[in-house]
Amino acid sequence: MFANLARLAPPSSIIAIAVLLCFAPVMPGIAIKTKSVLAGRKGAPILQLYYDLWKLVRKGTVYSTTTTWVFQAGPVIVLASVVAALFFLPLDGRSAPAHFEGDLVAFAGLLALGRFALVLAGLDTGSSFEGMGASREVTVATFAEPALFLCLLALVLATGELTLSGMLGVPLANAWPRSAASLTLVGLSLFIILLAENSRVPVDDPATHLELTMLHEVIVLDHSGPDLALILYGSALKLTLFGALVVCLFAPRPSLTPAAAIASLLAGLVLVAVIIGIVESVMARLRLTRIPQLLVGAAALATLGIILLLR
Amino acid sequence: MLGLGLGTILLAGIAAMVQSGSQNLPGRPLARGGSMLFRVLLGVGCTIGALPALRVLLGGATTDLQFGALSPTGPWVFGLDALSAVFLLLIFAVGVASGCYGFTYFASHAVHGETDSAQRSIEAEPSGVAGAHALVALLVVSLALLVVARAVIPFLIAWELMAMTSYFLIVFDADKPEVRRAGLLYLVTTHAGTLLLFALFAAWGRGAADLSFASLAAVTLHPRMGDAVVLSLALGAFGLKAGLVPLHFWLPEAHAAAPSHVSALMSGVVIKMGIYGLLRVIALLGIVPAWWSWLVLGLGVISGVLGVVWALAQHDIKRLLAFHSVENIGIILVGVGIGGLGLAYHHPRIAMLGFAGALLHTFNHGLFKSLLFLGAGSVIHATGARDIERLGGLSRRMPRTAAAFLLGSVAIVGLPPLNGFVSEWMVYRGLLHIGLVTDISRIASLAGVALALIGGLALACFAKVVGILYLGSPRDPVALSAHESAPGMTWPLLGLAGACASIGLLPVFVLPPILRAATVVVGAAASDPSVTSTVAADVDGSAAMAITALALGVTVAMLIGWAVHRIMVGRGPSKTKAVCLRETWACGYSTPTARMQYTASSFAAPILAHFQPVTGIRTHQTTRVFETFAGDPVLDGFVRPLWRAWRDIANRARPMQRARLSTYVLYLVAALLTLLLYLLVDGWTT
Repeated sequence: MFANLARLAPPSSIIAIAVLLCFAPVMPGIAIKTKSVLAGRKGAPILQLYYDLWKLVRKGTVYSTTTTWVFQAGPVIVLASVVAALFFLPLDGRSAPAHFEGDLVAFAGLLALGRFALVLAGLDTGSSFEGMGASREVTVATFAEPALFLCLLALVLATGELTLSGMLGVPLANAWPRSAASLTLVGLSLFIILLAENSRVPVDDPATHLELTMLHEVIVLDHSGPDLALILYGSALKLTLFGALVVCLFAPRPSLTPAAAIASLLAGLVLVAVIIGIVESVMARLRLTRIPQLLVGAAALATLGIILLLR
Repeated sequence: MLGLGLGTILLAGIAAMVQSGSQNLPGRPLARGGSMLFRVLLGVGCTIGALPALRVLLGGATTDLQFGALSPTGPWVFGLDALSAVFLLLIFAVGVASGCYGFTYFASHAVHGETDSAQRSIEAEPSGVAGAHALVALLVVSLALLVVARAVIPFLIAWELMAMTSYFLIVFDADKPEVRRAGLLYLVTTHAGTLLLFALFAAWGRGAADLSFASLAAVTLHPRMGDAVVLSLALGAFGLKAGLVPLHFWLPEAHAAAPSHVSALMSGVVIKMGIYGLLRVIALLGIVPAWWSWLVLGLGVISGVLGVVWALAQHDIKRLLAFHSVENIGIILVGVGIGGLGLAYHHPRIAMLGFAGALLHTFNHGLFKSLLFLGAGSVIHATGARDIERLGGLSRRMPRTAAAFLLGSVAIVGLPPLNGFVSEWMVYRGLLHIGLVTDISRIASLAGVALALIGGLALACFAKVVGILYLGSPRDPVALSAHESAPGMTWPLLGLAGACASIGLLPVFVLPPILRAATVVVGAAASDPSVTSTVAADVDGSAAMAITALALGVTVAMLIGWAVHRIMVGRGPSKTKAVCLRETWACGYSTPTARMQYTASSFAAPILAHFQPVTGIRTHQTTRVFETFAGDPVLDGFVRPLWRAWRDIANRARPMQRARLSTYVLYLVAALLTLLLYLLVDGWTT
């Protein structure tokens, strides 16, 4: 029954996903290294997250007596949803393993599913810290969601395609000369959404250790051992996912060979991580009440892009 | 066949009445037999009734039934097409679940002796409860008659029957003043709607041969004005029933006042009759002007966003769910608006997507909203509290109810892999397609921003509900005494949850019948080749198949992840690692209490802060308390002042009614003289 779907997925697109699954923990490492170098410090090794994950996987787990199965299911759903979302991006520059009309809605929906699971796992502990983190996470997400839709709508309008796989290939390469201005605006907006969705400066400071100022870190305060490993890996993968979306937008690579396309994707991801590190070095975290304004600004950029397209 | 099913449901109602008689007798077994009889008859009736609906949805056809000469307005016609069949299935599915749930809901009140108002009314009057069961059966029958009526008179009779049975069910707890107030508000509103329906059919049927729907469809209305009048009246009358903003003001009051299984039936099905009416009028007219579609789209966006923001500010579980109905009606209307724009600008494919999305969301919302209301009912039943700020940690005490409620929440937020996602995906597809056309209607694709915002806000709201209600630890002693409800209450919940999951996991079987129903609404334009290709693509092509694969894939991925997680944590087959249980980490503070948990008000506050100016939401903040309240600007700012003004006018007119015979005779003479004058003038002019 699903034979035609399996036939459509070229092996290179599956290989690309496997490469990204292995590459993901490098992304936060590069961002931290950039930050350290710019601050004149030596910094942690780029591969630090691999060591951390290996250490956490071997550890035992502590569960709060308040929690239920919801707490344990959270990290699993977070990771599963991000991995599933990866299947919709044409990572080898040609086509994605899964694509259907309107799959961009499924892409956003899967990310929301992961968020819902994470927030509920946080609330399951009954801690006011995690309640606070959950509240902030949904606040940021509420304002990020319309901005993400506007970015995707702009891509639909620019390329005339209704699948992520279709629009990020040849149609996007053809659209760039026609509508470079609006696509640049959309790319900028998407980068701001990347910062917000992945809790980076200026929305959240991943380096902070003051519970009251944190967003993402505070929801996972009670996760330990393999659970924490799943969460950390899932966050790194989500950063990679958004990074890949931005790279696919700015550099459509339909004419490269699959191997070259994957290599250039990795180079692009390194560049994105370096830019994140630079952003974190040059600016401070925004006040919590200002974050929605930043995201409305991102939405405004995307709207401007759409207006230029509708002209 | 349908008649047989309806007859059986009515029998179930009678059985409930008979059972009340037996309950007064000392023989308990007889009473238990009666409750079984009610359930079996209701179940059998709904199943028999659903069979013809299923046959029509799978492509079969039925002939219309005609009863001539029952009234001077032409024959009474009843018919069943795919559009009616979708609603009929929903009515029977929710009807059987709510009916069975209600039986245990009331019965265990009486047995356990809960300190709830329902209990008091039961003690006072056991026949009242039996009457309520019979009314539920009657409500299901009237709803079913409403969607198969093909002539004005039976349609209006079924409509009134539905409205009145709903009213008597709402005022079940009539000894509470707020219930009586909500009932009165509902009664006045629903009759305002009925009045608009009279006006609608009077305006439409003036040139018709008789008052059957077929004759109405054949009427040639005035090119611009006729459509405008009919569609405006339809939007007013059916919008009032559906509860779109600003006509929603009665809905949260009424749905919060009714017993929970009645709220489930009302929020799940009764308000959907407004959507049915709108779609039926569109199907009969065959055309929709562009302005009307833009209006519906705009109202949908406003209802959706405001509904969910108000819900976020609510902490009474039933009012919160009622406001979510306003939100979902908004999403459905966005679909209807897109469908209408597709018709008005001649994009039949977009019309199909919009109407199919709206129809599927109507069906899905019926399922998960009734699931959520029944789940809320179980919580109220177990704790006696409706304020979620007082509860917490219920998933440990009522695990099955909590699991079903969580599933319903994932579905209503529109997350994959459940049914809410499938219908929202259909509406989104319509929105994206309309962005690619070349005329002005492509602006409509920006409505998707509102849909995305609604999605984000709904996620926040249901994270709040599930998190505060079921997770964490109990905030108040009432939550400590909670217990899992009786099987008669958990089975309907699990059944509805199963329905939500199967639509979400296997949309490939659901989309073809829904598209067939949308074809009825789109009408003649559906024979366009671009539409037939869409239907073909959705039936056996990539889209429906792919979304099924997505749902199944995500589910499998989560199951594999869960298995791997068990092994990693050390709870797999080889128990190698230590899993220890400790108190929640409170950053070094050693004696955290349940009162230190985050509250629903605090959870929602950062989002609400950005919506306060437009929505009438107030916060109350002192050093000890932080609370948010949701006022209703329409009810407080418009309806209540209007009501007061009307009462003042009525008071001034009171001297006319002096109770003196001579005055009344004078009135009669005046009325007669006026009529004579009218005849005179009329004869003069012609």
